[in-house]
Order: sequence, then C-alpha cells, then structure tokens
Amino acid sequence: MSIAISGAARAARHPKARGGLVRFATEQPLGAVALFLITLFVVVAVLAPWIAPYDPLAQDRVNLLTPPGVGGHPAGTDELGRDVLSRSLYGARTSLLIAVSTLALGGVIGLIVGVVSGYFGGTWIDSVLQRIMDALMAIPSIVLLLFVAALLGPSVRNTVIALSLLVIPSINRVARGEMLRIREEPYVEAARSVGCSTPRILLRYGLPNLMAPLFVMGSLLFAVILIAESALSFLGIGTPPPTPSWGRMLSEGRSQLEIAPWMTVVPGLILSVSVLAFNLLGDAMRDFLDPKQRR
Amino acid sequence: MLLYAGRRLTYGLLVLALVATLVFLIIRLIPGDVVRLQLADAPGVTQAQIDQRTTELGLDEPVLIQFGHFVGGLVQGDLGTSFDDGRPVTTKILERLPATLELGLLAILFGVLFGVPFGLISAIRHHSLIDNVMRFLAVIGMSLPNFWLALLLITFLALWFGWSPPLVYASPTENLSQNLIHMLLPAIALGAATMASIARMLRSSLLEVLGSNFIRTIRSRGASERVVVLKHAGRSSMIPVFTVLGLQVGSILGGTVILERIFAIPGMGSLIFEAVGQRDYPVILGCVIFYGAIFIFVNVVVDLLYAVIDPRIRYEGASA
Repeated sequence: MSIAISGAARAARHPKARGGLVRFATEQPLGAVALFLITLFVVVAVLAPWIAPYDPLAQDRVNLLTPPGVGGHPAGTDELGRDVLSRSLYGARTSLLIAVSTLALGGVIGLIVGVVSGYFGGTWIDSVLQRIMDALMAIPSIVLLLFVAALLGPSVRNTVIALSLLVIPSINRVARGEMLRIREEPYVEAARSVGCSTPRILLRYGLPNLMAPLFVMGSLLFAVILIAESALSFLGIGTPPPTPSWGRMLSEGRSQLEIAPWMTVVPGLILSVSVLAFNLLGDAMRDFLDPKQRR
Repeated sequence: MLLYAGRRLTYGLLVLALVATLVFLIIRLIPGDVVRLQLADAPGVTQAQIDQRTTELGLDEPVLIQFGHFVGGLVQGDLGTSFDDGRPVTTKILERLPATLELGLLAILFGVLFGVPFGLISAIRHHSLIDNVMRFLAVIGMSLPNFWLALLLITFLALWFGWSPPLVYASPTENLSQNLIHMLLPAIALGAATMASIARMLRSSLLEVLGSNFIRTIRSRGASERVVVLKHAGRSSMIPVFTVLGLQVGSILGGTVILERIFAIPGMGSLIFEAVGQRDYPVILGCVIFYGAIFIFVNVVVDLLYAVIDPRIRYEGASA
C-alpha cells in the first residue's frame, strides 16, 4: 500500500497530473459529480462527531419513532429515540473505515498474487495461483462472507478479513492481465538484460504501469464492499452493535417499515448514493483512460 | 463440440474440487476447534463431553485422514449429517434447493425480459434523450442494494396501495399462484441489477457491432434497420450479454440468501443462515459447496453457449 500511496502522491504533485484532473472533470462531467459526492462522503465520515446533530447512541425517550422534522430530529428517530440522521452520518464512518481497510488488505494480497502470476504467466506458479482464485470466485460473495463471518464471529476486524476475500480475486485478475501485457514490453526486456532481479522488475517496472486500471477496479470494488458490508450487518453478522452501521439500521427499520419508513429510507438512500458515486467514478475513469472511448 | 464440452466440464469439476478443499482447509485453519465453538454457548460443558463429541465427529484423527473421509463422502454425494437434527446434509439441502433455484431463475427471467429490450432501444436511439435516461437508470439500478430495493418495494406498496406480500410461503406444487405472488417482489428486487447490467452491456456491444464493416456491407445491400439490428448485429452482440449473465449468477445466488431471509422463503439461503446461527458446520460446508457447484455449472453452460453462438470459439479451443 505504501507503494500505491507514494505513487499517487507523486502523481498528485506532478503538474501534468493536476491538469489531468481538470481534463477529467471536463471530459467526464458525471465523474466530476461522483468525485464531489465521494469527497462529501469522506468529509462526512471523518467529521461525523462534529457535524452530527446528536450523539448516535443517545436515546431521546420523549421522541420515539417521530417522523422527520418533529422534535428537532431532521430525519426522525428510531424505536429507541435515537436520531436517524446522526446514526446515518456515523454509519458512513463505519463503512469508510471497513472499506478502506478491506481495499488495503485485499488489494495488497490481490496485487501480489496477480503480479507474480502475470509475470510467470503460463508456468505452474500461474496455474496454481489462478485455480485458487477461480475457486474463491466460484463461491457467491454473501455465502463466502457468511461462511467466514460464522467461523470468526462478528467484529469489525473479521468483517474486513471476510470482505477482503471478495477483493483479492478481482484485483488479481486485473493485475495479472496487465502484468501479462507489461512483461512483453521492451522496457521490461531491457531491465532483464541489464540484470535486474525479478522483484526489482516487478516493483520498479511492473507496479507503476498497472496502477491505472487498478484505480478503476478499486473504485468499482469500493461500491461492492459498501453493499457487502451493509448486507453482512443487515443479516446481523457484520459490525456488532452498538456501532452505527447502515446495514443494521436497515434491518432495525425492517420491523417498523409501515410505521417509520424513514428508518429504512434515510440510511438506504445515503448508502445507495455512495455506491452510485463509486460506480460512476469507476465508469468515468475507465472511459477516461480507455483511448478507444475518446472521440 | 463434444470434446470441448467435455473439457469445460472437467475443468469445472476441478474448480469444484478446489472449492471443497479450500472450505475444508479454512474450517481446519481457524483458531479454536469446531466442537468448542459449537458447545461454547452451552453452560456447564465438561472436558469429557467435549472429548466425546470430538471422537463422535472423528475430529481426533489426523487432518489428512479426516480430509480423506470428507473427500470419500463427497464423491458419493454424502456431505455428512447435520449437528442440529442428525439428518443427512444432502437431503436437507435438496429440500431447500428448489425455492432458491426458482427465485434465481425468476430474477434472471425478469432481468433478461426487461434488460434486452432496454439495451436494444438504447443502442438504436443512442445519444438521444431516452438513451441518456436509460443509461442513468441502469447505473442507478446497479447501485441500489437489492435488500434495500426489496424493503422499499414492501414499504411503498403497503403505504400507497395497502398491499403486502403473503407472509406464509406456499410451494409451487401446493399453490402456484400464491407462490408466484410471494416470489414477485424478491425476484424484481434481485433482477433489477441483472436488468441494468444486461441493458448496459447489450447497448455497448451492439453499438460496437453496428459500427463494424460487415454491418456497413449489409446496410449497403439495402437491408432494413430491423433486419440489421435483430438478425445480423443481434447475434454477435449477444456474447458479452452471456458473459454478464454468467457473472451475474454469482451475485444473484448471493442475493437469494438475503432476500430469502427478508421474504421468509425456505430456500438454501435460509438454511445456511440458520446453520450459521446454530454453528452447524456440516450444513454450512455443504451449502457453500452446493452454491459453488451451481455457480460453476452455470458458467460451464454459459461457456458452451458461447461455442454454440460463435463456432470460432470451439475451434480455437480445440487447436490450443
């Protein structure tokens, strides 16, 4: 991950990259909107304790299940009188924490597997690694998550471990495909001919050249993780109470659907908009990076 | 073709064997043993009881021998017996399988039935208002979590139309109409993402094909737009759509777990969920293997469909 961060930091400092951001925004207006929404999501998640109107765990006994706007609760309260808006904002915090850790953990493992596999493409190392990835991909995500979460027990750490099993095969696939292409490039051949070691070739020439498609995949995976984390919490095996999480808010709202629809609508809407933003950003980056799509 | 089918099937079985090995290993690798985890909740469990249960389950034998028993049972379709009621896992799963398959198939049906026409319209009228609206709706469709969509459907149908889905599940052989009414909302909630993916994929692949040389030739010979799109372009643009379907099977299967839970459908999803709650490891293991088997089987079928649609694929495969 440190490699990825320093790479991104270098790109950000580079004057051409800054111009790239402006060009990205003009060429992909939807991507710019998505980027704005994601920034908002991150800001809300980080600043939740300062911008939330109430403590997410405080129970307002006078206002149980009040509709939005009543009793000073902008998005209403749940059956314990907890402020739905504050809980939703704190839920962003939980989701961001889990999604970032998952992407870091699964991304690094997936990247290593993919790069090694791609560099040794066609050999037994590649076959063994890829068959394991195929097996991981063959189990539907929620089932795999249920399986791992059931074995490890519900906690934020275990949710991250379970979710990273979803990330590894996808990152692996992208990294391997790119590495298969990169290893045929003249600069890799040149590096090999001057006697660079394999790890050096992978780190110095492989990694930097496959970052672009990985960012696309990372954005799309972020959306997948947000949904999967909520699904786990919805089923009651993800983030344990009392930590506010969107998935558990939805499952709490399920029993009050007809009495207090805001309990379901508000966190679900925020979740969906966040997922939408990451999907849009992924699409926009793909179109932006793919020369075929440019006209 | 037969050779190709045989090879794909063998490969599928290999992956399935790996899935079984992987889940077996994960269960063995976790800290703490299965018996302790299972009995952890029960008060006053003695070491003697733990030992007895361990021997009963054959967990005191070396891992390799355990694995041998597991594989031996697996090839005979025996996945052991449930910790909960002592019935064979295979029987328990087969009882629940039909409901899950029905829900999954209905979701795919919904996705194809609406996704294909939407994709066609989007491609034919590309860059028009209707295309832009549909593309935006497709991204939204892919972003809505299916369980939230299901909750919204339940809420607003109840609030605005006073209609709620039936609470008691009826099997299709008992009462087909009630069964279908029960399945309607979960199938829509589950199929929405499939519909959106199909529409998007069909649009982009159709646009690519419509821009190719052979379509220009067909157009120059005076073929009507309908013939061009449906007969000539349609066939070759279907391949990516099948790829999407194959990939969607995984998320649809995963989605059934959560929707079966919301709508109280007695399928495999409810079974694995109950098993997780009771720490019924043989059932969990069996369910994971079954889900894997369904996913792999569908993808082998999709591969074979490619070869039927595009003969080049089976020849390419044969020479490799």
